[in-house]
Amino acid sequence: MISRRQGLLLIAPLGLVLAGFFLVPALMLLPTSLREYSPGTGFVPNVWTVENYLRIITDDYYREVIWRTLGLGLFVTLACLVMGYPLAYLIARGPVRWQVPLILLVVFPMLLNLVVRSFGWIALLANRGLVNNLLVDLGIISTPLKLMFNLTGLMIGLTHIYLPFMVLMLVGAIRNVPRDVEAAAATLGSSRLHVFTAVTLPLSAPGILAGSILVFVLTISALVTPRMLGGPTYKVMATLIYDEFMQLLDWSSGSALSFTLSAMAIGVIWLSSRITRRWAGMA
Amino acid sequence: MSETETHPGRTTTIVAWLVVIFLQVPVLVVMLAAFSTTSYLTIPPQGWTLQWFGKVLSDPGYLSAIRMSLILAFGSTILSLLLGTAAAYAIHRKTVPGAEAITAFLMAPLVLPSVVIGVAMLQFYSLTGLRGSLFGLMMAHVVITVPYTVRAALTGLAGVDIALEEAARVLGASGFEAFRLVTLPLIKPGLVAGALFAFITSLDNVPVTIFLVGANQTTLPVMIFSSVEMGIDPSVAAVSTLLIVATGIILVLAERRAGFHRFV
Repeated sequence: MISRRQGLLLIAPLGLVLAGFFLVPALMLLPTSLREYSPGTGFVPNVWTVENYLRIITDDYYREVIWRTLGLGLFVTLACLVMGYPLAYLIARGPVRWQVPLILLVVFPMLLNLVVRSFGWIALLANRGLVNNLLVDLGIISTPLKLMFNLTGLMIGLTHIYLPFMVLMLVGAIRNVPRDVEAAAATLGSSRLHVFTAVTLPLSAPGILAGSILVFVLTISALVTPRMLGGPTYKVMATLIYDEFMQLLDWSSGSALSFTLSAMAIGVIWLSSRITRRWAGMA
Repeated sequence: MSETETHPGRTTTIVAWLVVIFLQVPVLVVMLAAFSTTSYLTIPPQGWTLQWFGKVLSDPGYLSAIRMSLILAFGSTILSLLLGTAAAYAIHRKTVPGAEAITAFLMAPLVLPSVVIGVAMLQFYSLTGLRGSLFGLMMAHVVITVPYTVRAALTGLAGVDIALEEAARVLGASGFEAFRLVTLPLIKPGLVAGALFAFITSLDNVPVTIFLVGANQTTLPVMIFSSVEMGIDPSVAAVSTLLIVATGIILVLAERRAGFHRFV
């Protein structure tokens, strides 16, 4: 057995790296978020204020961006659930020889560079992109549809990016549903649909919740895809933070927004862990 | 009868395959664009060419970005594998109090939005003069990859009987020898999968890296990201295709060597 001293020696290097390069930088955003920033001159000396946080709640533009971000999270989560469940079901319950190829086809786009995937969607959704060209050539529409720089583009792109995560979570959940119970319900005369709604769906609920939380949190935090498909004008919280830091150089507002976004993400995760615990208590 | 009722029906199967196709579409589009003679995309492509690949592979900007990405990915994977496995071992053997809290702390970079980690490090590095330095970027990538190696090591260690290592100690092996000869081979497949996730996370990262790169050294995804902001150019498709092929090869190798699909 190893001693406590050896244990501390093993854990200390990583602990120090994370403390120095993660914890301290994150905590240092807090004082920044309480400073008053004036364009051109930087922080106003000796002034501490909660104005940056108040503005997030009261300013119409900030509020619009926050609602848009949350709405997007909700839409993308639902889309991933609806599209992911049949695929997860096929992987978990379908022919065994399809299992590994299907999992690899799900994992491959997940491992692929985010920038590359978003670029693929630009090629598809742009005004002169593949989808519009095809629709115009087929005579279905005469002028290109606006598929980018708006909610449609972001929804399509983000659903594609986070769908694999949902599928993998659901595969695990469906595999955990005992087949005997499904078979018993079927033997007792349940239709295929009824077996699904009465047995499979409720028994895979923990996985559905876990997958939904994961996709929701990832979606509201996403920077790259919203920036590439939304352009510089159609903003969500992460792209707003990016602009505050890199373009407007208003680090105080950016820091306050960062804490707000983090609180939203952590709040959702905390809530879900409470729900899961309650479910576990009922079982 | 009961057998058929618990298998996916025809509708489910068709929908599922459509979703699989949806997942591959942007990938295929990028690859088609890379070989197309026109600077915008048509289906079917009007002509085939390799000129965009030639352009990428002779562009010093792209080449140095590729080199930078690989240095960061290899360096941060090795570092976070070493640091993460050591920490996971100490946590698993319950040598330090508060194992649960420590594990939560090690996983925290996964919970906080990447963009927040990015701006936090931007401010920190601006104050300490680390912005644009290789050391600073390397540490940032260790922070974002370490949850994957810690989790892989913890999962692996949970499946190893402590008695095996104790037996080795009784037979005269030192603590490290016992770990290296007994435990390490047992947790190796999990570590390989964790390292692969770490490697790809580092290679893929934009939301943290973009805040920290210097003016004249950037990584490949950050460079693609910035050039798309300027306008689309088929050489972006070509360099993306190189990344697609590389990812495919890594995935196939990982599947053959370690049975990767069991770890996702």
